[in-house]
Amino acid sequence: MTQVICAISSLPLPMEEMIRPFDFDGDRFDRSRRIDWLDVNAISQTKVLMVGAGALGNEAGKNLALSGFRNITVVDMDTVAVSNLSRCLFFRESDAADERFKAELVADGINGLAGGRSARAVTAPIEEAASDLFRGSDVVLGCLDNVLARTHVNGQSYRAGKLYVDGGMEGLTGRVMVVRPPDGACLQCGMNKSHAKVASLRFSCTGVETVFHEPRLAAEITTTSVLAAIMVREIAKHTSGRDDLMLSNMLYYDGKQNRMEELEISRNPDCLVHHN
Amino acid sequence: MVPLPFRIKVKNAESGATVEMELENDNTIDEVIESAATFWNKEMGAYVVRKGKKVLRGTMALADAGVREDDMLELVPDPEGG
Repeated sequence: MTQVICAISSLPLPMEEMIRPFDFDGDRFDRSRRIDWLDVNAISQTKVLMVGAGALGNEAGKNLALSGFRNITVVDMDTVAVSNLSRCLFFRESDAADERFKAELVADGINGLAGGRSARAVTAPIEEAASDLFRGSDVVLGCLDNVLARTHVNGQSYRAGKLYVDGGMEGLTGRVMVVRPPDGACLQCGMNKSHAKVASLRFSCTGVETVFHEPRLAAEITTTSVLAAIMVREIAKHTSGRDDLMLSNMLYYDGKQNRMEELEISRNPDCLVHHN
Repeated sequence: MVPLPFRIKVKNAESGATVEMELENDNTIDEVIESAATFWNKEMGAYVVRKGKKVLRGTMALADAGVREDDMLELVPDPEGG
């Protein structure tokens, strides 16, 4: 028996590569590579601008890191509050006491999961961030909590010609909107007087942001998880060259009644975003 | 010529409740949203109205938006939180 093995091992091997049982378990993205439409290499090189590091930002950040995105900029000016802790994976009670910036903690969390330096934080209001931030990104993820910031990010992304995926939620309902310039509708095309009313409540009659209208919205983590998963999956499809699989523009989710439905928003010919 | 009023139903997507609304062709979708939101005490949030799969533009008159007698529109929240 020993002689037989020696005889075989002395033959030149026709194969260039050698494999061992369960070698694939040494590859972090082995299971992702088995999904035929997913381009893991393209995902690792895509520059993601994530605006907002609250509940959606935490969940989306986790999904980005685990999906293999390795070039992420997280923008948020806020610091952690204890009430954030029921929905935010990367925040701890001590972060609230220390008034830590949400963007820094989410970037740190992403780096921890990714096993390297994949994310950086910007702790300024997005309205003050340089427009280079949009031009220098490949895709923009909106994890915001107010209409005004959404309108700004929508406009900037559109002008820079970048895919914008925006999420919004309250309680058990939410929606995801996909904006693909130069085609189709943008976020603002779907807005109406009720959005303007909500936005105006942030301002005094002089137009100065002196009246802070911040209603305490109902929020819970399962809705956040569902929406953030959809948002990151849409970006993964786009990055993998599969726009044909993406939402046409809006997905409405109602967790109370177990409804998820794609809705159509048509482009508004009067929308200012398309005229600038 | 006096415009003829017509009736539609508006459904509250969150509760499933419906309300009948009497309108005229030149009423706008914004007016439908505002009336329905006020009726259900929803003034503080942003909403859209859908007919079937289509979200109707706020500034559109009902006639232009293709809204007719006996149509069912749905008031859907556009949540602000993140």
